Amino acid sequence: MKNFTYHRPATVAAALPLLDEQWGKTELLAGGTDLHDLQKEYVAQPDKVVSLTALGGEFKDITSFSPPGAFAPTVAIGAGTKLVDIAESRLLLTAYPAVTSAAAQIAGPQIRNMGTLGGSLCQRNRCWYFRDEHVSCLLKGGRKCPAQEGENQFHAIFTTGNPCVIVHPSTLAPPLIALGAVAKIAGPKGERELAVEKMYQAPSKADQREHTLAPNEILVSVRVSSTAPQFAKLANASYEVKHRETSEWPLVQASVAFHFEQGSKLAKGVRVALGHVAPTPLLSEAAAKALEGKEVTEATATAAGEAATEGVRPLSQNAYKVQLLKVAVKRAALLAAGAKPYWEG
Amino acid sequence: MAEGWPKKRRLLGTKVKRLDGPAKATGRAKYSYDVNRKGMLHAVMLRSPHAHAKIKSLDTAAARKVPGFKALVVIGAAQDWIVTKADGDTLELKSVPTKKKNDKEVQKTVKAGPGVTLIRGNKVVKVADLKADDRVTVEVEQAAVGRELYYAGDEILAIAADTEEHARDALHAVQIEFDVLPHFVSEEEVLKEPDRKTTPGNLPGNLDVGKEATKGDVEEGFKAAEAVVEGTYGVPVISHQCLETHGLVAEWDDEGGLAVWASTQATVAVSRALAGRFGIPNTKVKCVTHYMGGGFGSKFAPYAEGFSAADLARRAGAPVKFMLDRAEEITTAGMRPSASGKVKIGGNKDGTITAFAVDCHGTPGYSGGATVNLGLLPYVYLDTIANWKRSHSVAFTNQGGARAMRAPGHPQNCVLTEFAVDDLAAKLGIDPLVIRRKNLPPNNPKVADKVAWAARRNDVYNEQLDIATKLAGWKEKWHPPGKGKAGAVKHGIGMAIHTWGGFAAGGNEPNECHVVVARDGSVTARTSTQDLGTAQRTVTAIVTAEILGLQPTDVVVQIGESQYGFSSGSGGSTTCPAQAPATLLAAQAARDDLFKKVAPKVAADPKDLAIEAGKVVDAKTKKSWAWKDFCGRLGMDEAKGKGEWNLAISNEAGNENISSGQVGGVQIAEVAVDSETGVVKVKHMVAVQDCGLVVNKLACESQVAGGVIMGLNYAVYEESILDRATGRQVNPDMEFYKLGGLSDMPKITVHMMDMPDRGVIGIGEPPTISTAAAIGNAVFNALGVRVGTLPLSPRRVLDAIAKGGKP
Repeated sequence: MKNFTYHRPATVAAALPLLDEQWGKTELLAGGTDLHDLQKEYVAQPDKVVSLTALGGEFKDITSFSPPGAFAPTVAIGAGTKLVDIAESRLLLTAYPAVTSAAAQIAGPQIRNMGTLGGSLCQRNRCWYFRDEHVSCLLKGGRKCPAQEGENQFHAIFTTGNPCVIVHPSTLAPPLIALGAVAKIAGPKGERELAVEKMYQAPSKADQREHTLAPNEILVSVRVSSTAPQFAKLANASYEVKHRETSEWPLVQASVAFHFEQGSKLAKGVRVALGHVAPTPLLSEAAAKALEGKEVTEATATAAGEAATEGVRPLSQNAYKVQLLKVAVKRAALLAAGAKPYWEG
Repeated sequence: MAEGWPKKRRLLGTKVKRLDGPAKATGRAKYSYDVNRKGMLHAVMLRSPHAHAKIKSLDTAAARKVPGFKALVVIGAAQDWIVTKADGDTLELKSVPTKKKNDKEVQKTVKAGPGVTLIRGNKVVKVADLKADDRVTVEVEQAAVGRELYYAGDEILAIAADTEEHARDALHAVQIEFDVLPHFVSEEEVLKEPDRKTTPGNLPGNLDVGKEATKGDVEEGFKAAEAVVEGTYGVPVISHQCLETHGLVAEWDDEGGLAVWASTQATVAVSRALAGRFGIPNTKVKCVTHYMGGGFGSKFAPYAEGFSAADLARRAGAPVKFMLDRAEEITTAGMRPSASGKVKIGGNKDGTITAFAVDCHGTPGYSGGATVNLGLLPYVYLDTIANWKRSHSVAFTNQGGARAMRAPGHPQNCVLTEFAVDDLAAKLGIDPLVIRRKNLPPNNPKVADKVAWAARRNDVYNEQLDIATKLAGWKEKWHPPGKGKAGAVKHGIGMAIHTWGGFAAGGNEPNECHVVVARDGSVTARTSTQDLGTAQRTVTAIVTAEILGLQPTDVVVQIGESQYGFSSGSGGSTTCPAQAPATLLAAQAARDDLFKKVAPKVAADPKDLAIEAGKVVDAKTKKSWAWKDFCGRLGMDEAKGKGEWNLAISNEAGNENISSGQVGGVQIAEVAVDSETGVVKVKHMVAVQDCGLVVNKLACESQVAGGVIMGLNYAVYEESILDRATGRQVNPDMEFYKLGGLSDMPKITVHMMDMPDRGVIGIGEPPTISTAAAIGNAVFNALGVRVGTLPLSPRRVLDAIAKGGKP
């Protein structure tokens, strides 16, 4: 394991000057559930590790910006918030169950007790070729993606135009994207805001990450709010297909958000986000369009699932994920609409 | 003839909590992994990154300069010699004489210098330190050049340093080049190119083509059948996943003795193997295994990590810890071979199976033997089916080698047979229970010993089927395959049956146990055997306490140290049936010794004395003494007994009620399959098991539950996935090498059949055999579509649904 210097600044302002302008020399440490593994495997070899664990305030807290009792509160979740606190947040649960249920699905209790929102959104991918020190791949400066023709049962099914076929591993990004959440990012020139779906890119080179933050920026918080008209009923849900229930990555995830205007059964303002199917979390306009202005029934939810697969090009071993994607979108839509889960029991 | 088990059992067969439960649950129990010695170093292994390669060049100079570096061992580059002359920097050597008849002396000259290490006893020495007739280990680093490596993970050299991180940095500083050679990690590719050789051994290629064995006339049997089905079934390679990884801590003393704290299922074998390797007497090596985090057949020897740790320790002059990391555990510490193939089965509506034909193959990696237990195929029904034909080919691949894994060969046999049996039942339109009852092996009336398995197996199986189907609600829940209630989630129920040996350990040396009664009434039971997590420690206490009228917690049990006398390795479910009788005999001998020594002091005849709970009674005078008071009369003496047991002793006439072998078991699985996602959830497992005389009902039930959990993982989750291009395992972790967690576990209902007249029989292996087959059959019952190849992942289930069950 390469030696590194360790810094634990107390404020974001103190942390920023410690960062570099290029990737690789400095790594941020959030919950600490992954970086050291990558270092021990000689995949990450930073000279400097900047721990964010001492940052407090808005970096760490879940804050409501609405008067108590407001129907759809605006909630800011600090990047340093533990996953367990997101999963158990009553403030979030009332209006944004897509977020709390997704947080509760991540890994197991040990990871949720340590892992953070920022870590979930900015983590490195889980591709087994990327993580094997002895295998060359695009993200480690190699010339070829070994997963394209190799063992790819857990890889991307949206592969067109993506030389690297990782799936983005965040289980919190899809619900936040479906809800139109906005990230607050601090950098050397001050703070900026960015829609969460704009935070991601499909990487294909060693000097790219799975997100678009600059190496000298820090994710501070994510703000979730509702743009629905007054008295509208918010509806949102996430659904993950997992092989195991314990300590498992979803094979496929879908988050669906919309609202019902007062007295209406029609889904409005539909947003559908897909997880674990592409190198980035995906906002599926086709799936949203299939539901927009319609009553959410098994038929329309199924149609949304079908629409979500527009553009898929699975690899040699993962065609089954196309079916899983259809089902995940359908079930997330039905859950959001308050239907009784037909798949339980 | 031995006295045998007491007719009236006070503790045996009851539920006794394991003695070390609190120590394990609180973390006070020290496993080998937890042992930290003063000044201890940490060792790691440089391994082949390639699936097949030759070492082209090797230079360790830079590694030796890394901060914290202490010692280095090159695998296969050292040999022991006798010094004939030591002069300047040159050593003249002759080979160490062996006891072999054709032993020929070899001479060799070695020049000291970089990359040459000389060791005498447990110290690194210089040529000047050596004199004629010294035994010396000579390691020449360059001897490793040209060595062929057969899988990604094959050992090259080990390094010890002050910290694990420094040791790994030193590994990265080793300069090594390889000639990369072609490899096979796919069985199918070996079958396509059987003549290409990439693995060791004497075969011309990688494929050992199976010979066909037959009984009766298979073609006639198929002609006579009312229905015939053909299926392709398979189980993947799975890896050993002991929670405590393989390895040990080694420490040499000033007198040239070696102590190791090893995670092993064979303390005596490990101590002897190390003694042999370092040319020292067995008595100079002590192997300690007080607590152990699982072995399952993969931990019988020191292996490369253990030998290296001991070698590094003597070179560094400090204790060395070498425990494998998780990736090494999965890729190098043993796997269960795969098996797959085509099965054709025919039968009639009354349930008679008229013919069975199987042509299968499997891989044990680069080394290891047959991958199914071919002598037992068609599994369980071997004696009943009149016509069968079988062959099995072994395809060697460049993957870590096979080691025994809990019931070697049996789970594979069970899947290949029981999947076909249910597919036939479906084709015939009959209940799988009917076809099983019809084909159960018959009682053998010729067997003289009426308590023996062969004389009553049909009755035992039928009773087990009665109990299991009742516990599972088979009658209410079974429906024709795929004909359950409508809905996305399909429910199904399936069964499978199994058999196992579980006799006392064989071999020439019997297992020993020693029981000592002190004058304060305290009792020590001592044996070198190891407790792998099976509750063997508690077995020793229960048996001793039963005979001496005490409670298990009254007995001080000392186990897991090789110097306590011989014990066999814990494999084949042979430990309890060897150790429990040895303990019985030792306790009875200690009791008799106590009576003999104290009787004169209490004016009694030893013949009239007997033990009841907490006291000694005189049958003649009706006098009784509290245990402690009676023992107090030992004076300066103590009472002692030794017991010995093995297969040969158990086979002596009159001993068949003390330990025996052969068991049966029935398991029924109830599953819910999400037909849209292919996710399989096991809801309930029923396991009915016999193991002769039940020593500890609680531990037996725990063993069965553990077996079921392991079998469930085999059915639904586990698979070693190798990258065909690089030959490297892509899932050497607990992230994508999947094992179910708590919430993935079903309700498990265990029913133990207590059959005291059969004596003690091992229980470790049988309860994991039929679980996967039962779950696979339950999924078939749910869907009406056969998912022929395990694990039952969403991918496999959805693929099978899409193809309508066709392979």
